[in-house]
Amino acid sequence: MNKLNHNGLLVLEQPFIKVPLEQLKKTAKVSHKELDRELAKASLTVSELANRSNQEEIRVSDANFALEGMVGRLQSLKRKAILNDAKVEEAMYVSRSKQRLSHLNELTHIQSANSEEYTIWSKVRLDRILVDYMLREGFSETASHLANAESIEVEAFVDVELFSQARRVEQALQRFSCNEALRWCNDNKSNLRKMQSTFEFNLRLQEFIELIRAGKRGEAIIYAKKYLNSFQELHLKEIQRAMTLLAFQPGTKCLPYKKLYDKSRWDTLISQFRADNFALNSLTSQPLLTVTLQAGLSALKTPMCCQPDNRNINCPVCSPDTLGLLAQNLPLSHHVNSTIVCRLSGEIIDEDNPPMSLPNGYVYSLKALQEMYNKNGQIKCPRTDEVFEFSHLKKVYIS
Amino acid sequence: MELISKEFSKVEKKQKEVADSTVDNIEKMINEIQEAQKRLENDPENAGVALKELEQKFKELAAKSLESHKEFQKVIARYEKSVDKKWKNDITIASNPEVFANKEKVLNTTVALHFIREGRFELANRFIREAHLCIPDTIQTQFHEMYQILGAIKLEDLEPAIEWARLKSKELEKRGSTLEFELHRQRYVQLLIDRQEEALTYARRKFYLFRAHIQRLMCALAFKTRLSTSPYKDLLSPDLWIELQNKFMRDFCNLLGMSSESPLYISVTVGATALPTILKMATIMKEKKNEWSQQDELPVEVPLPDYMRYHSIFACPVSKEQSTEENPPMMLPCGHVICKESLNKLSRGNR
Repeated sequence: MNKLNHNGLLVLEQPFIKVPLEQLKKTAKVSHKELDRELAKASLTVSELANRSNQEEIRVSDANFALEGMVGRLQSLKRKAILNDAKVEEAMYVSRSKQRLSHLNELTHIQSANSEEYTIWSKVRLDRILVDYMLREGFSETASHLANAESIEVEAFVDVELFSQARRVEQALQRFSCNEALRWCNDNKSNLRKMQSTFEFNLRLQEFIELIRAGKRGEAIIYAKKYLNSFQELHLKEIQRAMTLLAFQPGTKCLPYKKLYDKSRWDTLISQFRADNFALNSLTSQPLLTVTLQAGLSALKTPMCCQPDNRNINCPVCSPDTLGLLAQNLPLSHHVNSTIVCRLSGEIIDEDNPPMSLPNGYVYSLKALQEMYNKNGQIKCPRTDEVFEFSHLKKVYIS
Repeated sequence: MELISKEFSKVEKKQKEVADSTVDNIEKMINEIQEAQKRLENDPENAGVALKELEQKFKELAAKSLESHKEFQKVIARYEKSVDKKWKNDITIASNPEVFANKEKVLNTTVALHFIREGRFELANRFIREAHLCIPDTIQTQFHEMYQILGAIKLEDLEPAIEWARLKSKELEKRGSTLEFELHRQRYVQLLIDRQEEALTYARRKFYLFRAHIQRLMCALAFKTRLSTSPYKDLLSPDLWIELQNKFMRDFCNLLGMSSESPLYISVTVGATALPTILKMATIMKEKKNEWSQQDELPVEVPLPDYMRYHSIFACPVSKEQSTEENPPMMLPCGHVICKESLNKLSRGNR
């Protein structure tokens, strides 16, 4: 049990590796496209020049002038290729992936769960998980403090800037503005289509509704013609219903239309944005903190945990105001073998340290009882305060 | 992991290559154009030929640099494939948002307490402010004290710890803690190294309370000039200092009614270990349209290391069930234990 199961422990690390990979893919694509565009343009100019001079439509000095211009453009392209944001980002994601992979590789070299190295590694993992949680919950100040100040290492292990981008979109949506979100949709067009996301349609629909709410019916119709038309194939029903909205006042009590006017649609948009953004970047839909906590608390929870008499202060589930409360609705752990923990010493009872029962029925470990006897010359049950002789003890067989 | 690392090193190499070759190619293009410009100036008659040649060369170079970009993307795709092969499952099926619904505050408080326990007070306070939490100052003051004393021990200054242990002497003894003695012992050894004459006085003054343990320590006096080569050299081990720090932390926390390790740390560490098991179970249960987190008891055992078992569990060797209040363990006169229901069933057949 004290040997680490590396493959098992790595299960959790999917987003850790996938997130920078996804971003690397995106930037590589963007820079490829840009280069393609620039070179195609330059190519065209050269071909044109060659053609026109062949047909003697152009003077040599003009051709020379055009070439001069191209040199300028290429030089700026070269500067871009070195200094371009996309290139810098690309290099950053590569180095980030590298650091993360070597962090995981470090784990595979740790053998024992009891080793100091594993404790240190796990503490870093907990910090990573906490930063992820903070970022998702919007505690960005704490998150960046945790990511930067504590250990320099953690910074490459968390995706702060990814969340700050998302934050901007969310804040805009909170202000009832779709602009940032639409720009985001445009940036991620092909991937969103692959995911069959309905986010862009919902944004357009919302803008349409807001126009009607503001009483600008004419504009709304123009808007619908311009933007909603392309969604006809997939969302015809919704578009039809939305068009009917033109005939209803914002204060309407007619249910389907009242719903369309409802401001809570904006909150739905925000949560849809979050879900899509997480999926797009290979982030899990739930924070890793809750995933690991639920698994951990359930594995630790026993029927004794919630009973005040049997509380063990070292047991996380036994803290009634914090983790105990969180574990409330989780299943108990399953055990096919008995484990007896001595209440006197806190040690696990085994063959070398067998369980002994007192005449009153309570069971403690032999070692702890012996120690008590050597010290005080008698055995006093800590639960009932009854006093017994050592000869009264009886060995218990628990298989 | 090895395959992934291998594929990744290709990505890393290619990234540098592509960046360099792109710049290289653009430079070549510029050279070609400048070359062509010269030819136009020197030999305007054959401008058409020069431009035609330039077109040819330019196209080649453009194709080359786009090709290398494409290859880069291919290498990334291969790396992605190796990553996806390793991580196939969506781990969020192992988590149910309902379970923690409306408990954000509890969760945040747990996190803040974790920071305090770890002595990261600035971080804790920032979080408490940002998340609008309410945590009594006394907890922070207590842990502040603990980290101050601990810091002193780390610098091999034992006075603050000894003073604390003296104040808490009764409570420590009640818990069977030997911390106070161990602190005095360490101080005694310290004196034995530096100021031998004081060591004996110190021992006389402090050790009368701990008569049972001091024989070895007193004998060490005989070797005070060469302790490091004596049979008592174990007293000098630096591990004793680490042990002392851990013991102090544990006792300090326990006297506050808190665990010696951060409960959040324990839970998350156990969770990371338990996750593969829970994930497998959740996948199977999902197929049967069950939610694992809604069960009363997990269907399989999640193995835990010994030091993370905090409560006694009795699983009946006959029925294999865990005992409950209604079905408690019963001891037979021979000393074997089975649960009550099994006992009833067994005796029914034999009556």
